[in-house]
Amino acid sequence: MEFLAWLELTDFSVWLRESDWGHPIILCFHAVGMGMVVGISLMYSARILGYAKDFPLSAFDWLFGLAWFGFAMNAVSGVLLFAGEPRRLMDTPAFWIKMILIVLAGLALWALGKALHEDGRDVIAHARPDGATIAEAVVSQNARVAAIFSAVFWLGAIVSGRLIGYTISPPPL
Amino acid sequence: MTEGEVLHWIKELPLGAAVRESRWMFAMGETLHFIGLCLMVGGLLIVDLRLLGFIRSVPMRTALAFLPFVIVGFLINLATGIEFFVTDPFMYWPNPAFKLKLTLIALAGLNALVFAVLDHRHKLVLADGKTTGAYVRLTAGLSLSLWLCVLLLGRLLPAFEGSTSFF
Repeated sequence: MEFLAWLELTDFSVWLRESDWGHPIILCFHAVGMGMVVGISLMYSARILGYAKDFPLSAFDWLFGLAWFGFAMNAVSGVLLFAGEPRRLMDTPAFWIKMILIVLAGLALWALGKALHEDGRDVIAHARPDGATIAEAVVSQNARVAAIFSAVFWLGAIVSGRLIGYTISPPPL
Repeated sequence: MTEGEVLHWIKELPLGAAVRESRWMFAMGETLHFIGLCLMVGGLLIVDLRLLGFIRSVPMRTALAFLPFVIVGFLINLATGIEFFVTDPFMYWPNPAFKLKLTLIALAGLNALVFAVLDHRHKLVLADGKTTGAYVRLTAGLSLSLWLCVLLLGRLLPAFEGSTSFF
Protein backbone atom coordinates (compact mmCIF):
# COMPACT_ATOMS: atom_id res chain seq x y z
CA MET A 1 0.00 0.00 0.00
CA GLU A 2 2.94 2.33 0.64
CA PHE A 3 4.09 1.78 -2.90
CA LEU A 4 0.61 2.57 -4.21
CA ALA A 5 0.44 5.72 -2.12
CA TRP A 6 3.81 6.76 -3.52
CA LEU A 7 2.71 5.90 -7.07
CA GLU A 8 -0.37 8.06 -6.64
CA LEU A 9 1.79 11.08 -5.82
CA THR A 10 4.17 10.72 -8.78
CA ASP A 11 3.99 13.51 -11.36
CA PHE A 12 2.58 11.13 -13.95
CA SER A 13 -0.23 9.94 -11.71
CA VAL A 14 -1.20 13.49 -10.77
CA TRP A 15 -1.02 14.59 -14.40
CA LEU A 16 -3.27 11.69 -15.45
CA ARG A 17 -5.95 12.73 -12.95
CA GLU A 18 -5.76 16.43 -13.61
CA SER A 19 -5.01 16.89 -17.31
CA ASP A 20 -7.84 17.23 -19.84
CA TRP A 21 -6.26 14.96 -22.43
CA GLY A 22 -4.06 12.35 -20.70
CA HIS A 23 -6.84 10.02 -19.66
CA PRO A 24 -8.93 10.14 -22.89
CA ILE A 25 -5.87 9.58 -25.11
CA ILE A 26 -4.70 6.54 -23.14
CA LEU A 27 -8.29 5.22 -23.26
CA CYS A 28 -8.15 5.56 -27.06
CA PHE A 29 -5.19 3.19 -27.22
CA HIS A 30 -6.94 0.86 -24.78
CA ALA A 31 -10.05 0.71 -26.98
CA VAL A 32 -8.11 0.05 -30.21
CA GLY A 33 -6.08 -2.70 -28.51
CA MET A 34 -9.29 -4.23 -27.16
CA GLY A 35 -10.78 -4.33 -30.66
CA MET A 36 -7.68 -6.06 -32.02
CA VAL A 37 -7.30 -8.65 -29.24
CA VAL A 38 -10.94 -9.49 -28.62
CA GLY A 39 -12.00 -9.02 -32.25
CA ILE A 40 -9.41 -11.44 -33.61
CA SER A 41 -9.98 -13.91 -30.74
CA LEU A 42 -13.74 -13.93 -31.41
CA MET A 43 -13.22 -14.55 -35.14
CA TYR A 44 -10.81 -17.35 -34.24
CA SER A 45 -13.38 -18.92 -31.90
CA ALA A 46 -16.01 -18.69 -34.63
CA ARG A 47 -13.66 -20.42 -37.08
CA ILE A 48 -12.83 -23.19 -34.59
CA LEU A 49 -16.54 -23.70 -33.91
CA GLY A 50 -17.14 -24.35 -37.60
CA TYR A 51 -17.63 -20.94 -39.22
CA ALA A 52 -15.89 -20.47 -42.62
CA LYS A 53 -14.34 -23.92 -42.56
CA ASP A 54 -12.06 -23.30 -45.53
CA PHE A 55 -10.38 -20.38 -43.73
CA PRO A 56 -6.86 -21.84 -43.20
CA LEU A 57 -6.00 -21.92 -39.50
CA SER A 58 -2.43 -20.97 -40.40
CA ALA A 59 -3.69 -17.51 -41.43
CA PHE A 60 -4.58 -16.95 -37.78
CA ASP A 61 -0.89 -17.22 -36.88
CA TRP A 62 -0.40 -13.97 -38.75
CA LEU A 63 -3.57 -12.40 -37.37
CA PHE A 64 -2.52 -13.29 -33.83
CA GLY A 65 0.65 -11.29 -34.45
CA LEU A 66 -1.69 -8.30 -34.67
CA ALA A 67 -3.66 -9.49 -31.66
CA TRP A 68 -0.43 -9.66 -29.63
CA PHE A 69 0.41 -6.14 -30.72
CA GLY A 70 -3.02 -5.07 -29.46
CA PHE A 71 -2.43 -6.97 -26.24
CA ALA A 72 0.93 -5.25 -25.67
CA MET A 73 -0.74 -1.89 -26.34
CA ASN A 74 -3.37 -2.70 -23.72
CA ALA A 75 -0.87 -3.97 -21.19
CA VAL A 76 1.04 -0.68 -21.45
CA SER A 77 -2.05 1.57 -21.54
CA GLY A 78 -3.60 -0.53 -18.76
CA VAL A 79 -0.59 -0.06 -16.48
CA LEU A 80 -0.64 3.69 -17.22
CA LEU A 81 -4.36 3.89 -16.40
CA PHE A 82 -3.74 1.93 -13.21
CA ALA A 83 -1.02 4.41 -12.21
CA GLY A 84 -3.66 7.15 -12.25
CA GLU A 85 -5.87 5.52 -9.61
CA PRO A 86 -3.95 2.61 -8.03
CA ARG A 87 -5.56 2.51 -4.60
CA ARG A 88 -9.12 3.06 -5.78
CA LEU A 89 -8.70 0.33 -8.42
CA MET A 90 -7.24 -2.15 -5.92
CA ASP A 91 -10.41 -1.66 -3.85
CA THR A 92 -12.72 -2.32 -6.81
CA PRO A 93 -13.78 -5.98 -7.23
CA ALA A 94 -14.64 -5.46 -10.92
CA PHE A 95 -10.98 -4.57 -11.56
CA TRP A 96 -9.77 -7.86 -10.04
CA ILE A 97 -12.44 -9.85 -11.85
CA LYS A 98 -11.30 -8.25 -15.11
CA MET A 99 -7.65 -9.16 -14.46
CA ILE A 100 -8.60 -12.76 -13.63
CA LEU A 101 -10.78 -13.05 -16.74
CA ILE A 102 -7.93 -11.79 -18.95
CA VAL A 103 -5.61 -14.43 -17.51
CA LEU A 104 -8.30 -17.09 -18.03
CA ALA A 105 -8.87 -15.93 -21.63
CA GLY A 106 -5.13 -16.26 -22.25
CA LEU A 107 -5.14 -19.74 -20.72
CA ALA A 108 -8.11 -20.74 -22.89
CA LEU A 109 -6.25 -19.60 -26.02
CA TRP A 110 -3.18 -21.51 -24.89
CA ALA A 111 -5.26 -24.65 -24.30
CA LEU A 112 -6.88 -24.15 -27.69
CA GLY A 113 -3.49 -23.99 -29.39
CA LYS A 114 -2.40 -27.12 -27.56
CA ALA A 115 -5.57 -29.01 -28.53
CA LEU A 116 -5.12 -28.01 -32.18
CA HIS A 117 -1.51 -29.13 -32.10
CA GLU A 118 -2.65 -32.55 -30.91
CA ASP A 119 -5.36 -32.60 -33.58
CA GLY A 120 -2.79 -31.70 -36.23
CA ARG A 121 -2.14 -35.31 -37.20
CA ASP A 122 -5.70 -35.79 -38.40
CA VAL A 123 -6.13 -33.92 -41.61
CA ILE A 124 -8.96 -34.44 -44.04
CA ALA A 125 -8.97 -33.55 -47.72
CA HIS A 126 -11.66 -31.06 -48.51
CA ALA A 127 -12.97 -30.28 -52.00
CA ARG A 128 -13.68 -26.65 -52.76
CA PRO A 129 -16.49 -25.63 -55.13
CA ASP A 130 -13.92 -24.49 -57.70
CA GLY A 131 -12.56 -28.04 -57.88
CA ALA A 132 -9.38 -27.46 -55.87
CA THR A 133 -8.67 -29.68 -52.89
CA ILE A 134 -7.37 -28.29 -49.62
CA ALA A 135 -6.26 -30.04 -46.49
CA GLU A 136 -8.32 -29.18 -43.45
CA ALA A 137 -7.32 -29.96 -39.90
CA VAL A 138 -9.88 -31.80 -37.84
CA VAL A 139 -11.00 -29.71 -34.88
CA SER A 140 -11.51 -31.80 -31.75
CA GLN A 141 -14.12 -31.39 -29.06
CA ASN A 142 -11.41 -30.07 -26.71
CA ALA A 143 -10.50 -27.30 -29.13
CA ARG A 144 -14.18 -26.32 -29.50
CA VAL A 145 -14.67 -26.13 -25.74
CA ALA A 146 -11.52 -23.99 -25.42
CA ALA A 147 -12.84 -21.70 -28.19
CA ILE A 148 -16.10 -21.18 -26.31
CA PHE A 149 -14.27 -20.45 -23.05
CA SER A 150 -11.96 -17.97 -24.77
CA ALA A 151 -14.93 -16.03 -26.16
CA VAL A 152 -16.82 -16.10 -22.84
CA PHE A 153 -13.77 -14.92 -20.85
CA TRP A 154 -13.02 -12.06 -23.26
CA LEU A 155 -16.62 -10.89 -23.22
CA GLY A 156 -16.59 -11.17 -19.42
CA ALA A 157 -13.44 -9.04 -19.31
CA ILE A 158 -15.26 -6.35 -21.33
CA VAL A 159 -18.30 -6.46 -19.03
CA SER A 160 -16.19 -6.23 -15.86
CA GLY A 161 -14.01 -3.53 -17.43
CA ARG A 162 -17.07 -1.40 -18.06
CA LEU A 163 -18.32 -2.10 -14.54
CA ILE A 164 -15.11 -0.66 -13.06
CA GLY A 165 -16.26 2.81 -14.05
CA TYR A 166 -19.63 2.29 -12.39
CA THR A 167 -18.51 0.64 -9.16
CA ILE A 168 -15.21 2.38 -8.33
CA SER A 169 -15.41 4.42 -5.13
CA PRO A 170 -15.63 8.20 -5.52
CA PRO A 171 -12.29 10.02 -5.35
CA PRO A 172 -11.26 11.11 -1.85
CA LEU A 173 -11.71 14.82 -1.17
CA MET B 1 -39.53 22.55 -36.09
CA THR B 2 -36.33 24.16 -34.95
CA GLU B 3 -33.25 22.15 -34.05
CA GLY B 4 -33.97 22.65 -30.36
CA GLU B 5 -37.57 21.43 -30.76
CA VAL B 6 -36.43 18.30 -32.57
CA LEU B 7 -33.88 17.54 -29.85
CA HIS B 8 -36.51 18.21 -27.20
CA TRP B 9 -38.94 15.84 -28.92
CA ILE B 10 -36.23 13.15 -29.07
CA LYS B 11 -35.44 13.63 -25.40
CA GLU B 12 -39.10 13.10 -24.48
CA LEU B 13 -39.28 9.71 -26.25
CA PRO B 14 -40.18 6.85 -23.85
CA LEU B 15 -36.88 5.05 -24.53
CA GLY B 16 -34.81 8.00 -23.34
CA ALA B 17 -36.92 8.37 -20.20
CA ALA B 18 -36.59 4.65 -19.48
CA VAL B 19 -32.81 4.71 -19.82
CA ARG B 20 -32.52 7.84 -17.64
CA GLU B 21 -34.58 6.23 -14.89
CA SER B 22 -32.87 2.85 -15.05
CA ARG B 23 -29.73 2.25 -13.06
CA TRP B 24 -28.15 -0.25 -15.47
CA MET B 25 -29.59 0.27 -18.97
CA PHE B 26 -26.98 2.83 -19.97
CA ALA B 27 -24.09 0.72 -18.65
CA MET B 28 -25.47 -2.35 -20.42
CA GLY B 29 -25.71 -0.35 -23.64
CA GLU B 30 -22.07 0.74 -23.28
CA THR B 31 -20.94 -2.83 -22.71
CA LEU B 32 -22.84 -4.02 -25.78
CA HIS B 33 -21.36 -1.08 -27.74
CA PHE B 34 -17.87 -2.41 -26.88
CA ILE B 35 -18.82 -5.96 -27.87
CA GLY B 36 -20.22 -4.65 -31.17
CA LEU B 37 -16.95 -2.74 -31.63
CA CYS B 38 -14.95 -5.97 -31.21
CA LEU B 39 -17.13 -7.85 -33.71
CA MET B 40 -16.67 -5.03 -36.22
CA VAL B 41 -12.90 -4.74 -35.72
CA GLY B 42 -12.38 -8.52 -35.87
CA GLY B 43 -14.44 -8.92 -39.05
CA LEU B 44 -13.03 -5.78 -40.70
CA LEU B 45 -9.43 -6.81 -40.03
CA ILE B 46 -9.98 -10.13 -41.82
CA VAL B 47 -11.94 -8.66 -44.74
CA ASP B 48 -9.93 -5.47 -45.30
CA LEU B 49 -6.48 -6.97 -44.72
CA ARG B 50 -7.28 -9.73 -47.23
CA LEU B 51 -8.49 -7.09 -49.72
CA LEU B 52 -5.25 -5.18 -49.08
CA GLY B 53 -3.29 -8.29 -50.06
CA PHE B 54 -2.32 -9.74 -46.66
CA ILE B 55 -3.16 -13.33 -45.56
CA ARG B 56 -3.31 -14.40 -49.22
CA SER B 57 -3.58 -18.05 -48.22
CA VAL B 58 -7.21 -17.21 -47.38
CA PRO B 59 -9.53 -17.51 -50.39
CA MET B 60 -11.18 -14.13 -51.01
CA ARG B 61 -14.66 -15.65 -50.75
CA THR B 62 -13.76 -17.10 -47.35
CA ALA B 63 -12.42 -13.78 -46.05
CA LEU B 64 -15.59 -12.02 -47.23
CA ALA B 65 -17.61 -14.65 -45.32
CA PHE B 66 -16.66 -12.70 -42.17
CA LEU B 67 -18.68 -9.66 -43.30
CA PRO B 68 -21.79 -10.76 -41.34
CA PHE B 69 -19.82 -10.21 -38.10
CA VAL B 70 -19.15 -6.64 -39.21
CA ILE B 71 -22.81 -6.08 -40.05
CA VAL B 72 -24.07 -7.60 -36.79
CA GLY B 73 -21.52 -5.54 -34.84
CA PHE B 74 -22.62 -2.40 -36.65
CA LEU B 75 -26.32 -3.08 -35.96
CA ILE B 76 -25.59 -3.64 -32.25
CA ASN B 77 -23.70 -0.34 -32.18
CA LEU B 78 -26.34 1.51 -34.15
CA ALA B 79 -29.03 0.35 -31.71
CA THR B 80 -27.00 1.13 -28.59
CA GLY B 81 -25.81 4.40 -30.14
CA ILE B 82 -29.43 5.46 -30.60
CA GLU B 83 -30.04 4.45 -26.97
CA PHE B 84 -27.25 6.81 -25.84
CA PHE B 85 -28.43 9.66 -28.07
CA VAL B 86 -32.07 9.65 -26.93
CA THR B 87 -30.88 9.68 -23.32
CA ASP B 88 -29.33 13.12 -23.68
CA PRO B 89 -29.56 14.56 -27.22
CA PHE B 90 -28.65 18.07 -26.04
CA MET B 91 -25.30 16.74 -24.82
CA TYR B 92 -24.42 14.77 -27.96
CA TRP B 93 -25.71 16.96 -30.79
CA PRO B 94 -23.57 20.11 -30.28
CA ASN B 95 -20.44 18.00 -29.63
CA PRO B 96 -18.11 18.42 -32.67
CA ALA B 97 -16.63 14.93 -32.15
CA PHE B 98 -20.16 13.46 -32.36
CA LYS B 99 -20.95 15.24 -35.64
CA LEU B 100 -17.62 14.22 -37.15
CA LYS B 101 -18.18 10.64 -35.99
CA LEU B 102 -21.58 10.51 -37.73
CA THR B 103 -20.05 12.00 -40.89
CA LEU B 104 -17.27 9.40 -40.97
CA ILE B 105 -19.77 6.56 -40.38
CA ALA B 106 -21.74 7.85 -43.38
CA LEU B 107 -18.53 7.98 -45.46
CA ALA B 108 -17.56 4.44 -44.40
CA GLY B 109 -21.06 3.27 -45.36
CA LEU B 110 -20.82 5.02 -48.72
CA ASN B 111 -17.41 3.44 -49.31
CA ALA B 112 -18.86 -0.02 -48.62
CA LEU B 113 -21.93 0.71 -50.74
CA VAL B 114 -19.87 1.75 -53.78
CA PHE B 115 -17.80 -1.41 -53.35
CA ALA B 116 -20.97 -3.53 -53.26
CA VAL B 117 -22.64 -1.73 -56.18
CA LEU B 118 -19.56 -2.07 -58.38
CA ASP B 119 -19.87 -5.79 -57.62
CA HIS B 120 -16.23 -6.34 -56.81
CA ARG B 121 -17.35 -9.03 -54.46
CA HIS B 122 -18.50 -11.12 -57.40
CA LYS B 123 -15.32 -10.53 -59.41
CA LEU B 124 -13.10 -11.20 -56.41
CA VAL B 125 -14.40 -14.75 -56.02
CA LEU B 126 -12.10 -15.69 -58.89
CA ALA B 127 -9.07 -13.94 -57.50
CA ASP B 128 -7.92 -16.52 -54.95
CA GLY B 129 -4.27 -16.15 -54.10
CA LYS B 130 -3.86 -13.13 -56.35
CA THR B 131 -3.18 -9.51 -55.47
CA THR B 132 -6.15 -7.21 -55.62
CA GLY B 133 -6.35 -4.12 -57.82
CA ALA B 134 -5.59 -0.58 -56.74
CA TYR B 135 -9.26 0.40 -56.35
CA VAL B 136 -9.96 -2.58 -54.09
CA ARG B 137 -6.94 -1.80 -51.94
CA LEU B 138 -7.95 1.85 -51.73
CA THR B 139 -11.45 0.84 -50.58
CA ALA B 140 -10.06 -1.51 -47.94
CA GLY B 141 -7.55 1.07 -46.68
CA LEU B 142 -10.28 3.71 -46.50
CA SER B 143 -12.55 1.32 -44.63
CA LEU B 144 -9.93 0.54 -41.96
CA SER B 145 -8.91 4.20 -41.59
CA LEU B 146 -12.46 5.53 -41.40
CA TRP B 147 -13.59 2.97 -38.82
CA LEU B 148 -10.45 3.56 -36.75
CA CYS B 149 -11.29 7.29 -36.66
CA VAL B 150 -14.92 6.47 -35.77
CA LEU B 151 -13.69 4.37 -32.82
CA LEU B 152 -11.29 7.07 -31.63
CA LEU B 153 -13.88 9.85 -31.93
CA GLY B 154 -16.34 7.77 -29.92
CA ARG B 155 -13.78 7.32 -27.18
CA LEU B 156 -13.00 11.06 -27.26
CA LEU B 157 -16.66 12.23 -27.15
CA PRO B 158 -16.62 13.00 -23.41
CA ALA B 159 -13.43 15.08 -23.80
CA PHE B 160 -15.25 17.36 -26.27
CA GLU B 161 -18.39 17.62 -24.18
CA GLY B 162 -19.39 21.25 -23.78
CA SER B 163 -17.40 22.48 -26.79
CA THR B 164 -19.21 23.40 -29.98
CA SER B 165 -16.25 23.30 -32.36
CA PHE B 166 -12.83 21.64 -32.53
CA PHE B 167 -10.95 24.95 -32.50
